[in-house]
Amino acid sequence: MTVKTFKGGAHPPERKDRSSGLAVERLREVKQVVVPVNQHFGAPLQALVKVGDIVKRGQKIADADGRMTVPVHSPIAGVVKKIEPRTQSNNNDGPCIIIEALPPPAEGQAAPAPEDLVDFMPPLDVFSCTKEEALARVRAAGIVGMGGAGFPVHVKLAPSKPISYVIANGAECEPFLTIDERTMIERPEDVVEGVAITMKIVSASEGIIAVEENKAHAIPLLEKAIASSPRTRAGMKIRVQLLKTKYPQGGEKMLIAAITGKEVPSGGLPMDVGCVVQNIGSLCAMVDAFKEGKPLIERGLTISGGACAKPVNVIAPIGTPVADIIAAGLAQVDEAALAMIIYGGPMMGVAVPNYQIPVQKNTSGVLLLNAEEAKHYDEETCIRCGRCMRACSCRLSPALLAVAIESEDYKEAEKIGLLDCIECGTCSFVCPAHRHLVQRFRVGKQVLRALKQKEAQNAR
Amino acid sequence: MPAKGILLSSSPHSFTPVSTSRIMLSVIIALIPAVGYGVYLYGFSALALILVSVISAVAAEFVFRKAIKATTTIGDFSAVITGLLLALILPPKTPLWMAALGAIFAIVVAKEFFGGLGTNPFNPALIGRAFLLMSFPAAITTWSMPNGLALAADATSAATPLALMKQGASLADVATYFGASDTGAFLRQLFMGYRSGSLGESSILLILLGGLFLIGIGVVQWIVPVSVLASTFVFAWVFGMNPLFALLTGGVVFGAFFMATDYSTRPLTPAGQALFGIGIGLITVIIRKFGGFPEGVTYSILIMNIITPFLNKIRVKKYGYVPPVKPIKPTKEAGK
Repeated sequence: MTVKTFKGGAHPPERKDRSSGLAVERLREVKQVVVPVNQHFGAPLQALVKVGDIVKRGQKIADADGRMTVPVHSPIAGVVKKIEPRTQSNNNDGPCIIIEALPPPAEGQAAPAPEDLVDFMPPLDVFSCTKEEALARVRAAGIVGMGGAGFPVHVKLAPSKPISYVIANGAECEPFLTIDERTMIERPEDVVEGVAITMKIVSASEGIIAVEENKAHAIPLLEKAIASSPRTRAGMKIRVQLLKTKYPQGGEKMLIAAITGKEVPSGGLPMDVGCVVQNIGSLCAMVDAFKEGKPLIERGLTISGGACAKPVNVIAPIGTPVADIIAAGLAQVDEAALAMIIYGGPMMGVAVPNYQIPVQKNTSGVLLLNAEEAKHYDEETCIRCGRCMRACSCRLSPALLAVAIESEDYKEAEKIGLLDCIECGTCSFVCPAHRHLVQRFRVGKQVLRALKQKEAQNAR
Repeated sequence: MPAKGILLSSSPHSFTPVSTSRIMLSVIIALIPAVGYGVYLYGFSALALILVSVISAVAAEFVFRKAIKATTTIGDFSAVITGLLLALILPPKTPLWMAALGAIFAIVVAKEFFGGLGTNPFNPALIGRAFLLMSFPAAITTWSMPNGLALAADATSAATPLALMKQGASLADVATYFGASDTGAFLRQLFMGYRSGSLGESSILLILLGGLFLIGIGVVQWIVPVSVLASTFVFAWVFGMNPLFALLTGGVVFGAFFMATDYSTRPLTPAGQALFGIGIGLITVIIRKFGGFPEGVTYSILIMNIITPFLNKIRVKKYGYVPPVKPIKPTKEAGK
């Protein structure tokens, strides 16, 4: 099999061996969940429940009108205790619905009937229903891109341009994280089925499951699942593509460039080059939504890191404070060594002050780093070595971009491509002077957007 | 509030082990063969020249930054490189005080006045040499034959191959002057390095060794040295000079690998680097052919340093580049 890749990138230490061999476990008993109302990229939602309401597992508890909205469901059967702002995994406070699990039935009392506890939708056969019905189901199930951005999947699946390829993103290029790898090993049939469902909805001609070389052991399982899938027997074309292990191979733009040789035009979307890219977790969530009518109320994540004495790949209800996963004994923390907590991967994840923060739809991992892994350096002067220029996967000349931003020349910064930056952090990783490059670009993007908005208002 | 001792910072949270000082140290390592050969050719006086130049450069940086109350930066080893490079491009018998003066000028005026490492527009070592050449033209153009590890007093002054050519000698004459049987043997001799010239520029073999080491470990990219060498070769041939002789004499190879590749003063973009290298080769040949000096590498690199900021404008097309839509000009037909 040919190994494909993109130009640029870097090789941060992978550190996946800590958890790549661990089968996915499940957190069964949850006493309380803290469900953020807004877990998607788009317009904010309204809570549909109030304090004191009894909610079923799978019941919709927040929603709003508008295309860029995705509802949120209760991950457990319980009572709404509070609705208040809490710290979310982006380290900002946001409205959260706090639900306490129903107590087990007292002695002598009958256990409640399952239909009083669970509120799933009826199953739906995506291969016989209409496209509108399928899209409505994807939205109703609350599915977002689970790789990190939280983009509404029903919007992604309703492109205004013809689609040729559906790409399943099994690159998982962030160090430490192994949940997608485990999902491909343990649920290969569902990954293939998810690709087939996506292909059906967007009328794509080819499905490609992209896997990095360090996860090549999942390929025979995926190929077996493809060969035995009723969809491929019915004529759907699905294959596996091997990719070089390199960061940020799992970036949507890099994945598309590596596989199709085409580049998503500046300011455009994958659909502009006939592609839809789906996260492995999102694909499985879609399978559950059609087969069982189950909304996105739980997800798999990796808990790892040098200060994590016992790492784990675990499926937990959305809203579970990570501390509760640890309290249940599924993972162990070495408190004395703990220096840093990251929600997400070490390259793009968010550093947070504690692990009380709940699991969200886009939480692919929680890293508990020791002092060695969390080592940060003082910023030195740029020596103009050009390492960032060669590593930038978007070919943005970070060294020159940083100079433009520091001198507040936003015209030049825009020309170099500030708004095209995907904020992957490769430039900051490779910098021998430890310049805060991507950090400057993040701030610079906001300033530039504000300037452009002002300009547009003045032009009116 | 974060729990005590929990670090918060903006991503990424993982960093390369490569540091500025590690890069600078690798350059010093790459220069060791040339340094060793220079000492072998010209004796302990050469070693003294190198030490004086390096110590002056480091001391100048330390004192200057203390004086302006800036952080001490001698730990990044960049001043060591400047001092080392300066010594290697000076005549072996340069008076020690002169080398010290050149190193101080290079660090204080060419580097620190512009903000220090990474912000200087001109190569500090070359500025140091140009300053000495202008101030003491006689001393900086007095060359000597290699005299091994003998005492300094035994040195016999000699012309450099390029100076002889400038005076109108033929290649065969120059070969005879250096005791080679024919021109082929002379070119081989030049490649190995037994000739008069600057302290560290003579052995092409050892300079290539150091340069290829730097390219191999990724500290230097191939574009600049290759374009300098190719351009010198081609333009020498165009101007009717022996292209191999042009490459093997003077400081072209040393300049291509150790001067033109200076991070601060070469362009950052690949196309900019190629043009930069081509310009250096062209100007070197023009100075040698038509200029007042027999050698032109110092000035050709300094001249190209001037246009580095402009060469940086020639960037690689970004991912997904879409050419701006040009407004359609109304044709004459449509205008009617």
